[in-house]
Amino acid sequence: MKSPFASILDALTRQRGVRASLVVDENDGIVVDSNLQIGQDGDRVAALAASLYRKARLSARAARLGTATFMQLEAQRGRICAAGRNDLVLVVVADPAANIGMIRVEMIKAAGGLP
Amino acid sequence: MADDVRRWSDELARDPASLVFLPLGETLRRQGQLALALKIAMRGLERHSHNADAHDLLARIAVDRGELQRAFDEWDVVLRLTPEHIGALKGMAFVRFQQGNAEEAEQFLRRAALRGGDPEVEAALANMRGAGRGPREALAFESGSAGAAENGAHPASRAPHPAPNDARALFADILGDHEQTALLLDGQGLVLAGIYLDGNGIDVGDEVGAELSGVTDAARRASRHLDIGDWRSIVLETEVAVVTMAPSVNDGLLLVAASKATPLGLVRRVLERCLERARQWLEEAR
Repeated sequence: MKSPFASILDALTRQRGVRASLVVDENDGIVVDSNLQIGQDGDRVAALAASLYRKARLSARAARLGTATFMQLEAQRGRICAAGRNDLVLVVVADPAANIGMIRVEMIKAAGGLP
Repeated sequence: MADDVRRWSDELARDPASLVFLPLGETLRRQGQLALALKIAMRGLERHSHNADAHDLLARIAVDRGELQRAFDEWDVVLRLTPEHIGALKGMAFVRFQQGNAEEAEQFLRRAALRGGDPEVEAALANMRGAGRGPREALAFESGSAGAAENGAHPASRAPHPAPNDARALFADILGDHEQTALLLDGQGLVLAGIYLDGNGIDVGDEVGAELSGVTDAARRASRHLDIGDWRSIVLETEVAVVTMAPSVNDGLLLVAASKATPLGLVRRVLERCLERARQWLEEAR
């Protein structure tokens, strides 16, 4: 049986360079649903990305910048993208060469559909 | 005058980024429409946070509203952006005198005199040296006489000229008059350079720096444990802003924030230019 997030995750994983896409509970970093390439540790990605997004979201609010809608971390060998709604965070781990513009658009659209 | 107000209002409605908010706000101030003048000035500052004239306008409105400390703080920002701004020094002298601090008022007047001064400054200094009167008579801000001298010129003719040694203005020429700002933070999240003004024109750089620098610890941890190498940048989009961060030398952090309307690619380019400026500045400081 497919979860309600399967179509969202499938659409994201089809984007070039995406290694993992997950829906994570922001409060505890637990995976709600995921679509992972072989070798990706879903639990670790979920915990770290949710923690990073939560920290960024709270910091932005404390700095009076309003509600966070999208976050992207760029590193030497990969990227982490996150977009949240309510207590859920949509997380994508992608290659450096991934088309981040397309991924961003898809994630913002998908996050709007999170319950 | 009514025609001017209408014309400026129309222009501002057509182009919210227009600098006509300066003469419009000043005219409204002189007409005593302080609430409206304040609203115009605040909206202008949201788009032109590095414009010294905008802070000068807000300071004079604040004086008229009896908000002396706010006026002083605004003129302090003006001086950071344009250290030679005589109007700001006169305004700060006026505020300090009104607050009962004649000694500091005189210091500001002396600084104004050293920067060229004008007959008002000389008269105020003479008054203070002589009968012990204050600068109030010479620096008649309430009536707008000093403001009239300062603001008669077209706004574009008085663009800010940040001093090269003013750390708060380090990125001013890169940022221009757009809705963006930059901060260079040290490893502890303390501001080394740049300025971050809130909607009231108050510098909240320390507060914002402290809040956002904490994100870098989480970024470092995530990139290390996920084996994706050292982090290079973070982009955080919110309802009202785009914030980009990147590591600077000596565990520092550079932060550029822009309005939501600013294209993301442009913000990233500004970040890169600010990073290079910060690197050069820190090297020179060694």
